[in-house]
This record gives sequence, C-alpha cells and structure tokens, in this order.
Amino acid sequence: MSEPRSAVPVQRRWMAVLQKVGTPIISAALAIVAGSLIMWASGYDPALAFASLFQGSLGSPKAIGDTVLKSVPLILTGLAVAYGFRAGLFNIGAEGQLFMGALAATALGLTLTGVPWIVTVPLMLVAAMAAGASWAFVPAVLKARIGAHEVITTMMFTYIGRYLVSWLVNGPMKAPGGIPQTHELAINAQLPKIAALFPDSMKQALPILNLGRAHVGIVVALTAAVVIWLILKYTTLGYENRAVGYNRWASETAGISVQWTTVKALCISGSLAGLAGATEVMGVHYRLFDQFSSGFGFTGIAVALLAKNHPLGVIPAAFLFGALAAGAGTMQFQADVPQKIISIIQALVIFFVAAEEIVLWFVRRRQKEAMSHAG
Amino acid sequence: MLGDIVSPDLFAAALRMATPLALAAIGGTICERSGVVNIALEGMMLTGAFFGTAVVLATGSPWLGVAGAVVAGVAMASVHAFASINLRADQTVSGTAINLLALGVTGFLMELWYGHPGTTDQIAVLRPIFSFDAPGGGVLPEIWRWLNGIFLSHTPIVYITMAIAVAAQWAVYHTRWGLRLRALGEHPRAADTVGVNVLRGRWVAVLISGGLAGLAGANLTIEQVGSFTENMTNGRGFIALAANIFGRWTPVGSYLASLLFGFADALQIRLQVLRGIVSVPPQFFLMLPYVLTVVVLAGVIGRAVAPAASGVPYRKG
Repeated sequence: MSEPRSAVPVQRRWMAVLQKVGTPIISAALAIVAGSLIMWASGYDPALAFASLFQGSLGSPKAIGDTVLKSVPLILTGLAVAYGFRAGLFNIGAEGQLFMGALAATALGLTLTGVPWIVTVPLMLVAAMAAGASWAFVPAVLKARIGAHEVITTMMFTYIGRYLVSWLVNGPMKAPGGIPQTHELAINAQLPKIAALFPDSMKQALPILNLGRAHVGIVVALTAAVVIWLILKYTTLGYENRAVGYNRWASETAGISVQWTTVKALCISGSLAGLAGATEVMGVHYRLFDQFSSGFGFTGIAVALLAKNHPLGVIPAAFLFGALAAGAGTMQFQADVPQKIISIIQALVIFFVAAEEIVLWFVRRRQKEAMSHAG
Repeated sequence: MLGDIVSPDLFAAALRMATPLALAAIGGTICERSGVVNIALEGMMLTGAFFGTAVVLATGSPWLGVAGAVVAGVAMASVHAFASINLRADQTVSGTAINLLALGVTGFLMELWYGHPGTTDQIAVLRPIFSFDAPGGGVLPEIWRWLNGIFLSHTPIVYITMAIAVAAQWAVYHTRWGLRLRALGEHPRAADTVGVNVLRGRWVAVLISGGLAGLAGANLTIEQVGSFTENMTNGRGFIALAANIFGRWTPVGSYLASLLFGFADALQIRLQVLRGIVSVPPQFFLMLPYVLTVVVLAGVIGRAVAPAASGVPYRKG
C-alpha cells in the first residue's frame, strides 16, 4: 500500500494527497450546491438556511458541542462501514448492530449498580462491541460459507434487531410508566459531559469549554479511529483485510483464508457499530428506547464513502455530517426548511463520491488549466 | 382457533402481500440479468408509492396515480442507470445513494406539499375487479367460496403482476430481446462483439426494473393502504432481492418466491389474533418475514448462480 517514500518526488506525493482529498471535498461541495438549488427551487431561502445551519452547528460553543455530540456515533458507524469496505464487504446493517450494542450496554449498566464507573464503563463498552460483533456474525458466516449477499442479510438483521429491542423496551425491560423505555442508567454507567470535567472558573476564562451536551464518547470515537488506522496500516489482521478487499483470489493464492478474513472483517465492523450504540445510550439518552438512533448506521455509509474508507478521513467526514445533523433543527426553526433536505444532501454526497467520474472531470479540467498556465 | 387463521382470507392476503415483492423481484431479475445489481428497488418502490399517492391526491384518479408511480420509479431508475452504466459507479453504492435519496425526497416533498411529516390523507383507491355473491351451504359452494376468496377477490395490480410474471418469463427465455439481455449479464464483451449495444441494453433493463418497482409502490398505496407513510416500504425492496435470488434469477421463480414471503407476512398478521390466547409479543410476528428471508438465503443460495457479469461496469473498447 505505502510506496517507498524516497522514490516518490515530493511534488507527486502532494498531488496524490490532493487527489485523494480533492474528490471528497468537491463531492461535498457539489452536494451542498445541489441542496441549495433544491431549496431555492422549492421556494426557500438557501442563504438563510445555510446561515442558520451554520449557527446551529458551529455558531456557539453549545452548537459546536451539538456537532461533536452527533459526530460521535457517526465516527464509529463510519469506521464500521469503512472497515468492511476495506475487505470488500458492504455492511449496510450497521444500524442493527448499533441497536444490539446499545441493548447490551444498557442491560449491563442496569445490572451493575453500585460498582465504580472505572469498572462499569469499560465493561459496558466491551459488552456493546461483543453484541455488535455477534449481530454481524451470522451474516458474516453466511457470506463466508455460501456467499449470501451481506447487503441483504445485514439489512434483515437490522429489522430483526430493531423489533427485538422494541419488544424488550415495551416488555421485559420496560420501566414503570406510560413510555416504552428502560430505567435510567445510574451515574456510574454514564459517560460524563465534557463541560462537566472543567471547573467553572476555567469555563469562565475559556468560554469555548461550554460544550453543552457533548460527552466524552468523542474520546472513545477518536481512539477507535486511530486504533483502526493502526490496525489497517501496521498489523497482519489489517493487511489481510486490505488484501482480501483488493483481490480475493490473489489473497487466497497467497495463503490468506478469505473466509476467515471475511468473518473477522464483518465482526470487527459490527463491534464498531455496537460501540456507537453504547456511546449514544451512555452519553446522550442514559436509557434505551425504540427511536434512540436517528439512522446513524445508515449515515455511517455516507461518512465512510466520503472518507474514501480511510479511518482518519472518517473523522472530518463525520464532523461534516454531524454538523449537518446538529444544525438541521435550527435550520428548520429559522428558515422553515424541512430537515429532510439533510438526507437529500447526504444521498447526493454518496452519489457524487460513487460517481467519481463527474468529480474527476472537474479535477482534470483544473489540472489541464494549471498545466496550460504553467506551460 | 385454527379456522380463524387458515381461511380463504389468509391465502388471499398472501397473494396480496406477495404482489409488491413480486413486482420488485421481477424488476431485480431483469436488471441483474443485464448485469446491473439493483439495491435501489427499495427506494424506487418508495418513490413510486409517494408520487402515486401525490397524483391521486391532485387528480382524484387512481389510474393516473398508477401511471405517476411508474413514471417516478423509472425516473429514479434513470439516475441509477446513469451512475452505474455511464459513470461506472459502484452499483451497490449508487443503489444505496438512491435509497437514501428516495427517503429524503419523499419526506421533503411531503412537508413541502402537505405541510407535515408522517402520513398523507386518504386517497381514492383501486377496488377489487370482481364481486361475486357467496352462495349457501354444501360442498360445491364451499369450494367456490375458497376459490372466490383466494383468487377472485383482488385489485387490478395483483392480476397485472401475475400477467407480468408470465410475460417476463416468456420475454427473457423466448425472445431475441431476452437472449440479448441474458448475454449482457453473462458476457457483455461477447454481446458487444456481435453488435449488441451493451449500454443501451442495460439502460432499458434498469428502466424496466424502475417501472416495476414504481408499480409495486402503487400497489402498496393505491390498492393496499390508501395513503402514503414515510418509509412505508420497510425493507420490501431488500426482501424482493432475496426473492429474486431464491427464484434463481427467473421472473416466474421470483413470483413464486415472493408468494412464500407474502404468505409469511399474511401469516404473521393472522397470527396476531392469537395474541389473546398465547402471549407472544407482536414484535416476534413482525420479525417473521425478515427471519424467513435470512433462512431462505442461507438454505438456497449455494445452489443458485448469479449472472456472471452482474455488478461489473462495462467499459467499451
């Protein structure tokens, strides 16, 4: 994957980086332009819409906190989908694995009462990863053994998982009261808010620390991104994952077990999605209910594609979509634009990244222009 | 108790529930036969369901609504065709984009046109074509009651779907068009060499699948439910893909496989009458079609072979 550095002239390395980063940036820009056109054609004011979107996502420390809050599950589901893609697998069912992760974390958190947080929090995170991995396991085995398309099976498992959670929060795990939800997690099972970590005097001196609802799950997410990056770049596990993704037949010939790699890839992917479920429950809602995820598993697909499946690229991509999600409410409130426009922009991002030829056409034209200027 | 469950209504419901799955599955079959994977059936169905409803709300005519649904499905399909055939995008990813786009567009227009999210007003629906009187007692009238209940109680698209399954089977296996279609999916280079226009052939197939998925959406809203609800397709597009595989990439096979899934759906609804007697939570019944899909895929797929070039973009030259 990584060429010997000295052999590549510095300039060409920069061009390569630019091409890697350029397509996603142009794709995102094109999608936002297209989104504006749709708003304009529908009789809304795109300028006002984006102004309020900005205000609601980056305009104040509290707004930035909201963006961070939404980015946490998106980094994790984005990593989940990206890790699968790197092995040539499309984990479209991250949403279901996220539900199972949230379920495991909640169940464990409600059981471990009176145990210090230093024990409960890591245990809950590990349990969520195990649950997410287990929900991906059957699709993984079906894919590895008989080639059943993981897009169909993981999607079906998403529905099954959601109904399972729906049953539990309506039945066995339901807290007393009219609302189908579990009991609240005790403080020892919660991820604290970032703002709560700093003393008031410090927050007065540095107002940027008033990050509102943002919680320390962001540390979990960023750590996961770095770990996945290291795994892919420096370990045999990651090497095999990438090898199978590039060319499964060559990998097989080289002695890599494609089947086993497939199972591992989908299970690791599932564990990351499960972790996203845990951080949502432990950092945001403190309990489990039917609608706790606003489709983070599916948005993770857009995140992964925008990041071109690079674990570190997932971070800025997730922040972009996190900002869109965080600002959508303000946008609807101030500019009256339905929040669904965000889904449209997400879809267009995926579309433009996938149909790279459209974007490359722009890039090549710019290069040609640059060349003609230089020559 | 058994009589409450096993009745003409159960099998009639199975036929009814199978219809949208079958239409989408046949669309998926034709699409994959041409070498293009269509993950976007779900989104095309949803788009058809919405625009079908919108046209009926605007004009009051169910049949115009059906036409609108088909056109909307074809329009969505043209996006998929352009991306995956001309731009050689990853077909699965393009399909995912369309599914998301369909969710966004239908939800956005719902709020733009009707001022609220959720569900639209009730629309004028297509009624069952026949209505025969139920005769009195006796064996022969009893048989008649079953046949009448199962086969003669349906709305037009249910019958249209049966006709489409047979016609598509004939077209794929007994016409020049069908031979060329299959060649596109098995060995596009060879088809190109003998003068078949690969890109055009694939375009036609993708558009047909979009039209069928749109019709499936029309069946959901204009015949079954009578209104549109956001994300009402609820994974049917993916179940249809499984039905297409279970039916071994043949139109009639897809139809028969859809009947199985339709039966599971009809059964889970019927079984909910048991709730008073056996305390099984409704969520377990709701899971049934999805569990069945996984089981069927696990059981059959090893012996079914996909078209060789399915999912591979074609580059001329």
